[in-house]
Amino acid sequence: MDRRDFIKTAGGAFLLASSGAYAFRVLTAPSAGWMDVDFTPSGRKWGMVIDMNKCREDCTACLQACREENNVAFVNDDRYDIHWIRKARLQYKEESENPGKSVILLCNHCDNPPCAQVCPVQATYKRHDGIVIVDHHRCIGCRYCMIACPYNARYFNMKESEEWPNKDFPKRSHGVAEACNLCAHRLDAGKMPACVEACARQGCGALYVGDLNDHSSEVSRLIAKSAVKRIRPDLGTEPKVYYIGL
Amino acid sequence: MKGKPLLSPADPGQARLIVIIAVLIFVPLGFSVVSQVSRNRAESPNDFLEKPDPKYEECVRETSYMRFHHWELLRGIREEVVRYGKRSDVGLTKCSECHTSRERFCDKCHNAASLTPDCFDCHYFPK
Ligand code: HEC
Ligand code: HEC
Ligand code: HEC
Repeated sequence: MDRRDFIKTAGGAFLLASSGAYAFRVLTAPSAGWMDVDFTPSGRKWGMVIDMNKCREDCTACLQACREENNVAFVNDDRYDIHWIRKARLQYKEESENPGKSVILLCNHCDNPPCAQVCPVQATYKRHDGIVIVDHHRCIGCRYCMIACPYNARYFNMKESEEWPNKDFPKRSHGVAEACNLCAHRLDAGKMPACVEACARQGCGALYVGDLNDHSSEVSRLIAKSAVKRIRPDLGTEPKVYYIGL
Repeated sequence: MKGKPLLSPADPGQARLIVIIAVLIFVPLGFSVVSQVSRNRAESPNDFLEKPDPKYEECVRETSYMRFHHWELLRGIREEVVRYGKRSDVGLTKCSECHTSRERFCDKCHNAASLTPDCFDCHYFPK
């Protein structure tokens, strides 16, 4: 074996061995945490029923509870305020003596959400259980969803909230759009949304959240037995917030 | 007994074989020794990073995995939680139970790597 042969074989063997060692390390390295998603949809469809007959006009417990639960920016300035759930007074088309009804408005979690359809980065999307949610990590703040939403339920973070009442839930920084997420983090943990709990604590119990696919749930029974209305179902958005006595 | 010895370096074919076997044995060996030494050095105590309370022995995953893969872990969990609703026992807010300070732990490394994750605009973590 001459020197040339020796160098060729030794070099070849070295390459073989080191690439083998490298491949071994790569193949046995711990895999990333997201590789083992064993995901099965729950088959649930969350919906909400609002009984306007039980809602008191002067009560804003649900609004306050929502702000505290979700760190919603609220500085009492119309330019910056964000309302995941809000109260508005209906106005009659013609002149009328009696003032209009005060109704609770929030994201309708449409089955056919226009906001999700227009989102250019799929930050807004419908979760498997029907909740329309914003992935704030993806949101680029383009505000198409605010234009698309026929219910004016979407808001833009002009100013992030100064207080941070619920440290377990993130707040939102300047430059992302947001709307009610039906307290998805609470529903996932088996709790009811903050507004529903606050309403029950007030003794009104006007808000119900439950599974529309489950025919024995409270919301399904209420929808079946009472005259429910949705806001602008003619738009084809299939809203999932039902009103009794609207 | 006359005849060829089992392995004779004089024979060019066998010399080649000896070289290949020797390299196949010693190169991976050297590789693993070097990586073991460097890993031990990295695990030896240093005061660059603040140590969590000694009552905690392990990070949420193996420490060596966390050191080089915690961003992948966080991104994976984030995807599962936000998009699929699969809640996890690990989360960005939970890091602060053990790593109590951002400035003395996370930012030490991130500054050295000139990284500025914007996570803490929204997620709570004591300074
Ligand atoms: C614009 C605000 C915002 C920013 C910036 C942000 N997040 Fe989040 N993050 C959220 C919201 C909102 C949730 C949803 C929380 C929930 O549903 O419980 C969330 C959830 C998460 C979760 C899962 C739940 C938890 O609390 O652990 C992880 C992990 C996460 N984010 C990681 C990150 C990382 C890593 C970064 C930085 C690269 C980051 N986030 C930046 C708003 C933000
Ligand atoms: C149960 C307590 C606990 C929690 C929760 C925890 N850690 Fe740790 N972490 C530790 C311990 C203990 C070590 C090992 C420290 C050592 O030996 O130097 C460690 C080490 C680390 C290291 C490696 C530091 C080094 O020396 O190189 C990183 C990076 C890290 N953790 C990130 C995180 C992140 C990100 C989170 C949040 C998802 C987190 N940890 C949550 C206890 C914890
Ligand atoms: C041992 C040093 C070290 C420590 C300690 C450390 N990090 Fe990191 N971290 C890094 C490095 C290096 C990267 C860059 C990874 C890359 O992008 O290649 C990184 C990236 C990240 C990212 C992704 C950033 C992005 O822009 O995508 C997040 C989020 C993060 N770290 C969170 C944390 C948190 C939270 C802690 C404290 C609990 C922490 N890290 C502690 C070294 C460290």
